[in-house]
Formats: sequence, C-alpha cells, structure tokens
Amino acid sequence: MSDEQGKRGGDERGALVAEYVLGLLGPREHARVEAMIAADPALKAEHDFWSARFAALDSEFGEVDAPAHVLGRVEARLFGAAPKTSIWNSLALWRGLTAGALAVAVAAIGFNLMQPTPSVTSLTTQLVAALEAEGSDVRFLALYDGAGAVRLTALSGDVPSDRDLELWAIQGEQAPISMGVIPVNQRSVVELSEEVQAGWGEGSVLAITLEPKGGAPEGRATGPVVALGEVHQI
Amino acid sequence: MPAQSGPAEISELIARCSLRDRQAFRMLYQRTSAKLFGVVLRILKNRAEAEEAIQEVYIKIWQRADRYQAGQSSPISWLVAIARNHALDMVRARRPAGDELDEAMQIADAGPDPERLAQASQEGERIETCLATLEPEKAEAVRGAYLEGYSYDELAQRYSVPLNTMRTWLRRSLIKLRECLTA
Repeated sequence: MSDEQGKRGGDERGALVAEYVLGLLGPREHARVEAMIAADPALKAEHDFWSARFAALDSEFGEVDAPAHVLGRVEARLFGAAPKTSIWNSLALWRGLTAGALAVAVAAIGFNLMQPTPSVTSLTTQLVAALEAEGSDVRFLALYDGAGAVRLTALSGDVPSDRDLELWAIQGEQAPISMGVIPVNQRSVVELSEEVQAGWGEGSVLAITLEPKGGAPEGRATGPVVALGEVHQI
Repeated sequence: MPAQSGPAEISELIARCSLRDRQAFRMLYQRTSAKLFGVVLRILKNRAEAEEAIQEVYIKIWQRADRYQAGQSSPISWLVAIARNHALDMVRARRPAGDELDEAMQIADAGPDPERLAQASQEGERIETCLATLEPEKAEAVRGAYLEGYSYDELAQRYSVPLNTMRTWLRRSLIKLRECLTA
C-alpha cells in the first residue's frame, strides 16, 4: 500500500469514528462502528481522541435545573423505597453474594481453623466477609479474629505489577476508611485502626480497590472496586 | 447548582460512588444534575423525555462509577458523555428506520498512529481554533451535531442539500479538522 493510500484509509477511518462520536450515524451503522471500535485498539485510540477533542465543547451546554422530584425517583429506583432501613440491605450487590460464596467462606474458615491461630478466642465472636465483585477475579476471604485484627486470605486474582490492592472499610454513611495496601496472593493480617474499630461490626463493608503502587494518594480511593463484601457474624 | 465544584471534588465523588457511598451519590447529583439536564434537554428538545433521560443517566452513573478512571478524562466530560450518549440513543431509537444512509462506507485498512493521537489528545482545547479553519456553515454543522444531536438528515434539511451531499461535505470537514487537530 502506498503512503498516499494509507493516508486516505486513515483519514476515512478517522472521519467515520468522528461521525460515530458526533452521533451522526443511523442505528445500524452506529452499531457496526461500535463493534469495530471495540475490536480494534487503533480505532479505540481514534475514538478517545475525538471524544477528548469534542469534549472541549461541553462548556457550551448550559445548565438547567432538573425537576425537584427526579433525585427521589432515582434513589428509590437504585436503593429501594425505604432507605431508612439498613443502607446495605437492599443493594442488589449483596444479593449477588450467593450461597456459593458463603460456602467458599465456610470452607475457608474451616481451613483457617486448622492452622495454629492463638488469637482466635471463640467462634461466636467471629465476623466473616467474602469479598468479590462482578467482572473481577479478585476474591478474598476476611475473618475478624475478635481481638482487633482482620485475617485476609486471597482466594484468587492477579494484579498488574504496577498496581497495588488497597483495603477499605465502609461503615454507615461515612466515607470509606483506608485499611492500607494488602499483599496479593498470600495471607495477611490487618490491624483495625481506632477509627475503623469505632464503627466495626455486623453490616460493615470491606472493599478492595486497585490503586497506584503504594496505595491511593491522599487516602481516597481512585481505582475500580475489584472485590467487596459485607461483614457477617458466624 | 451550588458553588462551582472543582474537577477533583467531582472525581472523588465518583470514586466514592464506586464504593457504594450513597451520600456521595446525592452530592454528585446536586453538583452535576443541572449540567447534565442541560445536555439531555438540548439534545432531546422535550422536557418529558429529558426528565426520563436524566433518571436513566444517573442510574448509569451509579452503575458505572467503578469504570471511571481518574486522570484519564475530566470527570465532567465523563459525565457529559454518559448523558449525551444516552440522549442520542433515545433520539436514534425514535428516528424512522428509513433515515439510514444506504451505502455503508468502505473502509481501507490503514490505522491512525495511536501514539500521535494520544499526544494530540493531551494538548487541550484546540478544537475551537481548528473549527475556525473550516467554512463557517460547516463548522456550524459539526457543532450542531455535537451540541444539538442533529442527524445527517436534519442537517441536510437545515442546509437544504441532499443527504449524500451533506455526508460528503461533513466527512471532508472532519478529515480537515483531524489534520488541524493532529498538526
């Protein structure tokens, strides 16, 4: 292919992706180009290029107050009609924690108990959480030892070498509290800070996010959630 | 809309939404809903449809919050893209099927240079400068497509030219625009 032909091909592909980003294509062609972009990293780059460039026009969209009832309807649809009950109970997410995950949890606890675990005093005081998320193969089991520490067992999942996993505690409506970076593919013990300990108990949520090496800057999660689970008493 | 929120704050609210923080979601809604309602209303040009759209948009935002990558794009652009694309999907769905152009463009297999594109993306707001190099009515057509969601058919009617002429016209303009943006 000559340079001239190559340039023309590139121009046409570029223009087609621009048409896609602008929303000019009909439904059939729009779907076709969408599939092409998904399959071709060069077209994806072209898509990101046009999206970023046209986004400079976003400031021309004026602000118009949305009708007052919209927020309530959105919250009702997302969180259920009675948000005053437990915040976490109605989340579809938790329904996704299947009996299978709990079976894994129980089996893993059995395994844990076979190890020498001097700090575990009584099963009745224990809290456990199975951490996982749709679309992620990172899975952890968290077991609270009843004495101020969470023992983590990695069940599966790999992390890019330039990233770290960070553990978070979410309690009630507070912002997530970092519990620090955790090692991948091995067991670890995380001591609960006073701040976490203060709200700790059944219904607390543990989440794991993918963060830059060394953990989230400024102690605020930036990466995607790769696993999470609610703490239950067993 | 309360006092202007900085991108860093919006970015943090999106990250907290990905951790299922409902209070953060409410704050994000309060900070950004006027902007996003402005987007869907401008494209849909119908208040009832825009009201339906804005609900779906915030449901998508909650569901997709974990896909937002801080630093990759501005958080407002990310939110506007969700709103704009949702409104455009609604517009596309209600357009008559006959609106589709007949001949699918044949695309030669020669890719753009991703490295150069990535570099160009970081440069900022060259779009205005480059739009100004096009003939005024062609620049207006590009803006109309982005900001008003006009289809080729609507643009052809507005500028009183046949549909295929409109497409040839605009494709040439987009190629020119790309040359300017990557220069």
